[in-house]
Amino acid sequence: MAVKQINYENKNFAINYEIINNSCEKTIIFLHGWGSNKEVMKSSFASHLKDFKHIYIDMPGFGKSSNDSVLTTQDYANIIREFLKNEKAVSAVVGHSFGGKVATFLNPKNLILLSSAGILEEKSDKVKFKIKMAKILNVFGLAGLTKAFRSKDVNTMSEPMYETFKNVVDEDFTETFKSYTNNALIFWGEQDRATSLDSGKKIAALIKHSKFYSYNSDHYFFMKHANDITTKINDGIL
Amino acid sequence: MKIAIVFGGISFEHEISIVSAIAMKDVLKDELVYIFLDENRDFYHIPTNTITSKLFSTGEYKKSDPLSLKKGTFNKKAMFGEKQLDFDVILNLTHGGDGEDGVLASLFTFNNMKFIGPRVEACSVSSNKFLTKGYAYSLGVKTIDYQYFNKNDEVKVNSYPVIIKPTRLGSSIGVSIVKEEAQLQYALDVAFEFDTDIIIEPFINGIKEYNLAGCKINDEFVFSIIEEPAKAEFLDFDKKYLDFSRTSKAQIAPISTELQEKIKENFKSVYNTTFEGSLIRCDFFVVDNEVFLNEINPIPGSMANYLFDDFNGVIASLSQSLPKKNKINITYEYVNKIQASKGK
Repeated sequence: MAVKQINYENKNFAINYEIINNSCEKTIIFLHGWGSNKEVMKSSFASHLKDFKHIYIDMPGFGKSSNDSVLTTQDYANIIREFLKNEKAVSAVVGHSFGGKVATFLNPKNLILLSSAGILEEKSDKVKFKIKMAKILNVFGLAGLTKAFRSKDVNTMSEPMYETFKNVVDEDFTETFKSYTNNALIFWGEQDRATSLDSGKKIAALIKHSKFYSYNSDHYFFMKHANDITTKINDGIL
Repeated sequence: MKIAIVFGGISFEHEISIVSAIAMKDVLKDELVYIFLDENRDFYHIPTNTITSKLFSTGEYKKSDPLSLKKGTFNKKAMFGEKQLDFDVILNLTHGGDGEDGVLASLFTFNNMKFIGPRVEACSVSSNKFLTKGYAYSLGVKTIDYQYFNKNDEVKVNSYPVIIKPTRLGSSIGVSIVKEEAQLQYALDVAFEFDTDIIIEPFINGIKEYNLAGCKINDEFVFSIIEEPAKAEFLDFDKKYLDFSRTSKAQIAPISTELQEKIKENFKSVYNTTFEGSLIRCDFFVVDNEVFLNEINPIPGSMANYLFDDFNGVIASLSQSLPKKNKINITYEYVNKIQASKGK
């Protein structure tokens, strides 16, 4: 593990990260999903892709990197870009879920999406109702009460991370995916309930140079299928 | 004799302290009383017959009796008021922070508690590798050349490979070997995660390393055997971890009596009067028959029990030979004299 201080928009971000195979030149970056951290990525991929230097990053507000600012997905991408500015041979960026959106913004030579966020999912009626109630209560100045409607993973979030969550959730990346013209490999879990298989297929259709693979598993499908995924990465990146 | 083992502490080595403490059950024949210091600096009395490392990782230890520190003792709640925890001597087995940096030594000294472990000054010169260099130099003990930097300095390395070490950590935490410039930045980011200061030494591949443990009992040195520790390129945390649970006997290093004597002389210089009351392990390098001090472990992993023939006996005699502070009598003579001369 290591820490690098990044200055972005006059704020200091201490980014916790870890490098594996530091003597390799070709570099691959791993970005975790919302509520996850670099250890999840590392535990899946560290023992694969031995010809690559792996960089595992805890994005601000996750794992061991703290954050007390309200950020957007674009801010995350800018911070990661600043973090990577001395890395000369980044050949691929792997992004899971929310990390997939950040990875797409980075516009790498090879983009590897693992059940990426970025396509709006149809909400269940229950969630729709909660949102409507919260909006009505907010109008009446009862914002304090609406906390009761927040989803479970939101409850443990700090206020800036909750605001950040609101910024990044339900973002439509259709245009961003469309404008990505380099090489992409897209991997998906068929039983994924956070980002649906249909969304994956949409992204694959939006990105011109892309290949799509799916596995009989959930949102964290890569933890069980790292072997096959990394073989495809090895063969598929330019 | 009842030995109270104090372990845990706010330390990067908190977990290996637990492993070390549990290993004592196999090597000490005396009755043990386990006192755990948790991450909130609360003390708990852990029953000796049920102690396992899982007890701590699950938070289960909190169900044990909490202890409060009193002058000369630890107390636990009793039916009426409080009851003293019964023990004869403390064995400080808190590695790294709290145990080896002088926090517990101060606490025990302040409370007039009898303890085996480094005193405050011993902690200062051993827990900070930069201060160790200066201490060794003053005693005529050689160390490997080094550069010292704090996190605001611009780090310049003239020739590779080098080994980068945080100044205040043990067990190879935050230590990296850097073979070329391109790897330097990452190694610095690793080291500075753990500490504000680092030292950089040339890395000498295949350097001979020898460990010797010992202590002073009634002004006589008692030594362990000298061991050449097994090493890959260097012992990383995972491999060193095994050292802390180690209870099987070590092999004697096949070196000349002359070199053995040299190592022992260096040990004596380092131990000096500074380390009285503690059983320490010194790690030495040998290059062309010259002995260099690498580091001083004033609370070695599992107390380096595996280096001694009669570890139990050493601890028993050491506990009878702890340094005593001369009592300072506060007589107010001076104040009284002034008052008298003023005619009051």
